[in-house]
Amino acid sequence: MLLKLAWRNIFRQKRRTFLTLMTMAGGFVLSSLSIGWMNGSYSSIILFFTNNRTGQIQVHHEGYLADPSIYSTIDNYEQVGLLLDSFPDVRTWAPRIYTGALLAIKPDAAAGQASNAFSNSAAASVIGIDPTREQEATGFSDQITEGEMLTASYADTSLSSTGQILLGKELAITLDASVGDSLILLSQAANGAVADKRYVVVGIVSTGNTQIDRRTSYITLLDAQNLFALEGEAHEIAILSRNFNEVDNLNTAISERLIGRNLETNSWKVFAKEFYNGMKADESSLEVMIFIIVLVAAMGVLNTVLMMVLERRREFGVMKAMGTRPGFIVRMIMLEANIMGFISILLGSIISTAGLLFLSKHGIVLDPPLDYGGTVFREMVASISPDCYWIPAVCVILTASIVSWIPALKAAHTKPAKALRTV
Amino acid sequence: MANEKVIDAKGIIKIYDDSGVPVHAVRGIDYTLTKGEFTAIIGPSGSGKTTFLNVITGLDSPTEGEVWLSGRLLSEMSGNELSDFRRDHIGFIFQAYNLFPVLTVEENVEYIMLLQGVPKEERHSRVISMLEKVGLADYASRLPSRLSGGQQQRVAVARAMVSKPSLVIADEPTANLDSKTSGALLDMMRQLNEDTGMTFLFSTHDEIVMKRAKKLVVLTDGKLDENNPPEEYE
Repeated sequence: MLLKLAWRNIFRQKRRTFLTLMTMAGGFVLSSLSIGWMNGSYSSIILFFTNNRTGQIQVHHEGYLADPSIYSTIDNYEQVGLLLDSFPDVRTWAPRIYTGALLAIKPDAAAGQASNAFSNSAAASVIGIDPTREQEATGFSDQITEGEMLTASYADTSLSSTGQILLGKELAITLDASVGDSLILLSQAANGAVADKRYVVVGIVSTGNTQIDRRTSYITLLDAQNLFALEGEAHEIAILSRNFNEVDNLNTAISERLIGRNLETNSWKVFAKEFYNGMKADESSLEVMIFIIVLVAAMGVLNTVLMMVLERRREFGVMKAMGTRPGFIVRMIMLEANIMGFISILLGSIISTAGLLFLSKHGIVLDPPLDYGGTVFREMVASISPDCYWIPAVCVILTASIVSWIPALKAAHTKPAKALRTV
Repeated sequence: MANEKVIDAKGIIKIYDDSGVPVHAVRGIDYTLTKGEFTAIIGPSGSGKTTFLNVITGLDSPTEGEVWLSGRLLSEMSGNELSDFRRDHIGFIFQAYNLFPVLTVEENVEYIMLLQGVPKEERHSRVISMLEKVGLADYASRLPSRLSGGQQQRVAVARAMVSKPSLVIADEPTANLDSKTSGALLDMMRQLNEDTGMTFLFSTHDEIVMKRAKKLVVLTDGKLDENNPPEEYE
């Protein structure tokens, strides 16, 4: 009877109920699309960021992240790599050496004019990469906009020979260097010796992050090991996971296997802390947005429930006169609000699914592109996940329950004699 | 059995003070209603009939005085106890029918038995039986909005009586009905009173009701009219 009464009461004022359902369903749809859109954007950004650059997990010598030093290396990195290969969730891994150097170029060197002056020079970070593994892990060659990738088979690492170097796009502009130019790399090796070597620019790299491209150059890992006296060593192993959602578990598992080696593993949430915090801050803005949407919908529901209660005051008086307990009336009104909530969830889910499917396939082209921490995104797509449904659904039901609570109590405590006097 | 008290009201005073100006609606009434009565409280509009009925049924509380209903003191009951007591002991018939518009005739009559927890089979048979008594068995599935005023009031009578209350309170039950319908309705209620021994208490200023009442109580300016003591008719 309670359900029957509640159900039929909802449709006493069809137009008002329709408008309320639309308000609630609208709130559901907006929340759902916002979540799908934000999740899609986050996923795109995080995957782009980790797949193209950092990996999702990194192995370093203990303390390296807090205080990067040329001396804090992973000894015998290949042995660690073999251990990583034993994890089914590890798709691939790539070793890297990081150090800094002064790059100097003679502007007329390419023209063959003799000069001892280095007119253009810049401090840059030098990253030693394994071309084959880096390509497998991050698709590195896709970021080369001019020239070509470092040659994987390039074996001549002697200091007297000319090495291969890739320059970040903005760094090349600073140095006024282009493909085919030669430059001098000057630094200090781990053994204290001066590390200097001539390199020829084989390509220009554009990672999409101008800050990185302004200060980064790349040489082969073997070359870096030889130049900086780090034979068999690396500063970092970037790990790519097969399953992004399982990164934290994989990180823990690897960590446990590396105990006793003076190594530490961290997920992207730690080594890309600023990026991760930025994501979390954006999530907070999503929460604020959903709160505002829910608040607007709640006002609509409150208005409807209050009207329903005021209009039926006499009826509640009759119910109470007949011996209906206040609790029955409270349950009836809350049930009415929640039935409207469930209907709006149903309606909202259908509309949201259509919207999310469209946005997940077609996406929206960002014009101008979005620059997120220096990484540029040109298109965003939505992603469909349970979050898109359960979060708005819980919001709708909670809103309906909370908003109907006070009018329900008011109705339940109607004084029958007074209510029966109303017209 | 004839002298069993259904209502025993002592020194009832009811003063409304809603607008800051005290209004003395009931000015000290002692009244006893015994089982099986078919009594009408009569008096002009504003004489306090409805207020008095509200007070003696626990729909409103008296400013002073006490009400004993079927041996229970109303002021000692909690809200839920009072609700349960009304549900089990009192049937109400209102001037404006006050049927639930979203429920069918059958469901309106059934409602109170649902509150009482009467089993489904018994509910159904009692609803059918009661609708037959009030001549509306063919209208069971209709909504109140598709009935005439007289038919709606007959549904209200069925609803008030189906739970087998010890007391039926009818506040101006014929006020919105024509004389023919009113007469038929009162005849039906009187018949039910005689058949079942159920106690009826009306408030009215309708002569049709007065003519059929077994006893008349006159209320004037919130007091029982001492010049017109309760009269009994047969």
